[in-house]
Amino acid sequence: MSKIWSMMDVGRRSLSNSQTALQTTAHNIANKSTEGYSRQRVDFVTNEPIGTGKTRIGMGARAGEVSRTNNPFLEKQIEREGQQLGYMNSRSDILGRVEQVYNEQVNEGLNHSMGRFFNSFRELSNNPESLASRSAVKESAEGLAKDFQAVNTQLDAIQKDADFRIQTKVHEINQLSQEIAGLNEKISSVELTGASANDERDRRDVLLKQLGDKVNIRYAESPSGQLTITAGNTAVLVSGFSYREIATGSTPGREMQADKTQGRGLASTETGDTVTKREGNLDVFYKSTEYSTPVNITQQLKGGEIGGLLQVRDEVINKFTNDMDQLAYSLATEVNATHAQGYDRYGQNGNVFFDLPDQVAGASAKLSLNQDLAGDVGRIAAAAEPGAAGDNRVANILSRLEYSQTMSDGTATFNDFYASLVGKIGIETQRANSAQQAQGDTVAQLKNIRESISGVSLDEETTKMIEFQKSFDAAARLVRTADEMMDTVLNLKRL
Amino acid sequence: MRIADKMAYEQVKTNIGKNRTQMSELQNQAATQKRVTKPSDDPLASSRVLSNRIDLQGNNQFAKSLNYAKSFIEFSDQSLGELTEVISRAKELAISQSNDGSSNEESRRVVATEIEQLYNQMVSIGNRKLGDRFIFGGFHTQNAPFDPKGNYNGDGGEMMIHIDKESFLPMNVPGGRVFHGLGLNENGMTMPTPPQAKSIEELQQSLAVSQRGPASMQTGAPTESAAGPGASPAPQPEPPVVSGGVNLFGVMKEFETALRTNDKEGVQAVLDQLDSALSQVVLTRSQVGSRATSLDNFLQTIEKQKVENKSTISSLEDADVFATVSDINKTEATLQATLESSGKLIQPSLMQFLR
Repeated sequence: MSKIWSMMDVGRRSLSNSQTALQTTAHNIANKSTEGYSRQRVDFVTNEPIGTGKTRIGMGARAGEVSRTNNPFLEKQIEREGQQLGYMNSRSDILGRVEQVYNEQVNEGLNHSMGRFFNSFRELSNNPESLASRSAVKESAEGLAKDFQAVNTQLDAIQKDADFRIQTKVHEINQLSQEIAGLNEKISSVELTGASANDERDRRDVLLKQLGDKVNIRYAESPSGQLTITAGNTAVLVSGFSYREIATGSTPGREMQADKTQGRGLASTETGDTVTKREGNLDVFYKSTEYSTPVNITQQLKGGEIGGLLQVRDEVINKFTNDMDQLAYSLATEVNATHAQGYDRYGQNGNVFFDLPDQVAGASAKLSLNQDLAGDVGRIAAAAEPGAAGDNRVANILSRLEYSQTMSDGTATFNDFYASLVGKIGIETQRANSAQQAQGDTVAQLKNIRESISGVSLDEETTKMIEFQKSFDAAARLVRTADEMMDTVLNLKRL
Repeated sequence: MRIADKMAYEQVKTNIGKNRTQMSELQNQAATQKRVTKPSDDPLASSRVLSNRIDLQGNNQFAKSLNYAKSFIEFSDQSLGELTEVISRAKELAISQSNDGSSNEESRRVVATEIEQLYNQMVSIGNRKLGDRFIFGGFHTQNAPFDPKGNYNGDGGEMMIHIDKESFLPMNVPGGRVFHGLGLNENGMTMPTPPQAKSIEELQQSLAVSQRGPASMQTGAPTESAAGPGASPAPQPEPPVVSGGVNLFGVMKEFETALRTNDKEGVQAVLDQLDSALSQVVLTRSQVGSRATSLDNFLQTIEKQKVENKSTISSLEDADVFATVSDINKTEATLQATLESSGKLIQPSLMQFLR
C-alpha cells in the first residue's frame, strides 16, 4: 500500500517539478528581448531515497534552485570596454562638431576671408586714391574680424553644449547609483534565504554597464553580494544600501547659470585646480557625507562619456581656441605695426588698424577693425610718406604680409598656420572616429559572446517545453496508474 | 557556438546597418562628386586643398592687378610714343632751321609758333590722366605734375604692383625722369628701380637713407636710391644723384628762344640736346616696353598657376566617378546578399515544424 501512496506522491511532485520548469521556460521566452537578461534553468536534484536493507527506493526529484547562466568575468570585461566606448563615442561625436567649425570644404570660412583681406590690400595698392578700394579694405577687414569671432563663438558654444551634456550625465549617474543601491538591498535580502536573486543581479549588471558607459568606475562585490562603486579614484557612489550623489558646479567668475538644484553651495569651495579649464565651464563635485565640503573630482573623471566630453572640452577645444587667439593676435599685431608707420590720406600716421586686447588670450573674440578707420576709410594708411595720394608702399608691404613667415617662430605664414589647424582637427577627428569604430566592434563582439552564453534561444526553449510537457504527461499517467492500482486493491474484497 | 535569438537579430541588424552606411556614403560621393566633404575624410588632402584655394585666390587677384598694370603701362607707352613724335618733329624743325639755306628769320618765327604748340602738347602729355590718376606724377597722382612753365610737381615715386607672391613690378614712369631727366646717371641711363621693401623696417631704412641723401624728393631724386633689399646697417656711400638727362621743356624753351631771336648757333646747339632728349624718351619707352613684356610673362605664369591650383584641388577632393560607381555596384550586391541571407537566418524556427 505504502508503495502505491509513495508512487502517487512521486508523480504529484513530478507534476509540480514539470510546472516549475515550464514556468521558467515561459520566463525565459518572455525575457527573450530583455536587455542583460541571462537565461535561467531549474536545477533538479533527486530526493533522498527510503527503504531498508538492500531495497532503497528512489523518491523522485525536486527542484533545487533556479540558476542563471552567466559569466561574471565577461560582464566585467564588457563593462570595462563599454567605458572605453562611451569615452570614444562622446569624443568622436563632439569632435565632429568642432571639425564643422573648420570645415571649408562646403562653405567659405576664415581661410577665404583671410585671402580676401590681403587681396583687398592688393587692390588698394593698385589704386590707393580710390575710395572704393579703401572701402573694400574696410569691408574685408570687418569680414575677417567677424569670421574670427564666429570661430570663437562656435567653439564656445560647443563647450557650453558639452557642459550641458555633462550635467545630464551627472543626473543620470545619480539615478543609476540610487537604483543600484536599492538593488544591493534587495539582492542581499533575497540571498539571505539561500536563493539566488537572478533577475535582480541581471538588472544590476545592466545598470552597472550603463554607469560605466558614462564615467570611469571601479567596483567590488562583498561576500553578501553588495556592490561598492567608486567613480574616478575617490568618489564612492554606492556603498552597501546607501548612495551619494555627485553634482555639477561652476568655478568662480563664471558667466554660465549654475544649476540651482545641484550646484548649490558648491561653487565657492574649489581652490587651486590646475585643469586647463576655461572660466565658466562646469566642474563635477562630490560630497563624501551629507555635511562635508564638496570636493572637485573633475580631474579624476577620465573615462566614459563624461571623460570624453571633459577631454575635448578642456584639452582639445581650448587648444584650438588658443591657436585661433594666437593667429588673430599675430595677424593683428603685424598689420598694426606696419600700418601705424604708414600715412593715411590726410598725411597723418600712427593709426592702428585693428583694435585688440593686450594679451593673446581672447584676441580672436575681441578682434575688430579700429573705429576711426571704420568711420572714415580715408584713414587707412597706404603711403610711406605723407602728401602723395599715389604712394602705395605701405599697402604693398601689407599685401606681402600674407606670404611672410610670421607664425610658429617664423616658419609658417598665416595661411600655413590655419591650414595646419584644419589638418590637426581633421586628424584628431579621423582618429577618434576610427578608434570609436574599432571599440564599437570590440564591444559588439563581447556582447555577442555574452549572448551566446546567456541569451535565450527560442529553439532551445521550445525543445525544453516539449521535454517538460512530456514529463508532465508521464507524471500524470503515473498518478492515474497509482489510482487504478488503488482501485484494484480496494476492489479485492468483492471478488 | 550556441546561437541565441538575440545574437542572430543583432547580427542581421549590424550587417544591414553597415551595408546601408557604406551605400549612403557612396551615394553621397556620387551625388556631390566630392571625395572629401569634411577635414576628417582626409586631413592631409583637406589641408592641402586649403593652401591651394588660398593660392588660387591670390593668383586671381594677381591676374587682376596685372591686367590693371597692363592698361597703365600701355597708356604710358602710348603717351611716350606721342612724346617721341613731338621731339622728332622738333628735331626735324631744328635741322631745317639750323642753316641759312632753308630758313630765315621769317621761317624761324613761324617755326617758333609751332614749337610753342609742341611745347604745350608736351605739357599736356605730361599731364595725361588714366581714370582720375595723373600717370607721370610719381606718387602725386592727384594734381597735375607739370605746370605751364614745365616745372615738375611730382616725385620720383614708382608705384609697385604686387604681381606674384614674391614679385613687384613698377607700373608708372615718374615724369621727372622722362621730361627732366632726373634720376638718370651721368650716361643718361636709368638707374635700376629699387626693390619693394619687404617689411616696414626695410622701408624705414630706405626712407632714412633717402632723407639723408643730397636731394630731397621734391627735386625729383628717387626716394629709395640707396637701399637694396639687404642694405647693411653700415652707411653706404651715396651714389651721386646726377641729372645726366635733359630737361625737355628747357630744351624746347631754349629752341623757341633761339628761333625767336633768330640765333642760328643757338638752334644748332639745341639740335644736340634734342638728340639726347630723344634718346632719353626712347630709352624710357623701351624700359616701359620691357615691363609690358615681363608683365605678359607674369600673366601667363599666373594663368598657368591658376589652372594648376584648380587641377590640384580637384585631384585632392573630387571623387573618382568610375571607382565610385563600381563601388556602388559592389556594395549593392553585398547588400542584397545580406538581406537574402538575413531572411534565411531569422525566419526558420522550431515552432514552424511543430503542429
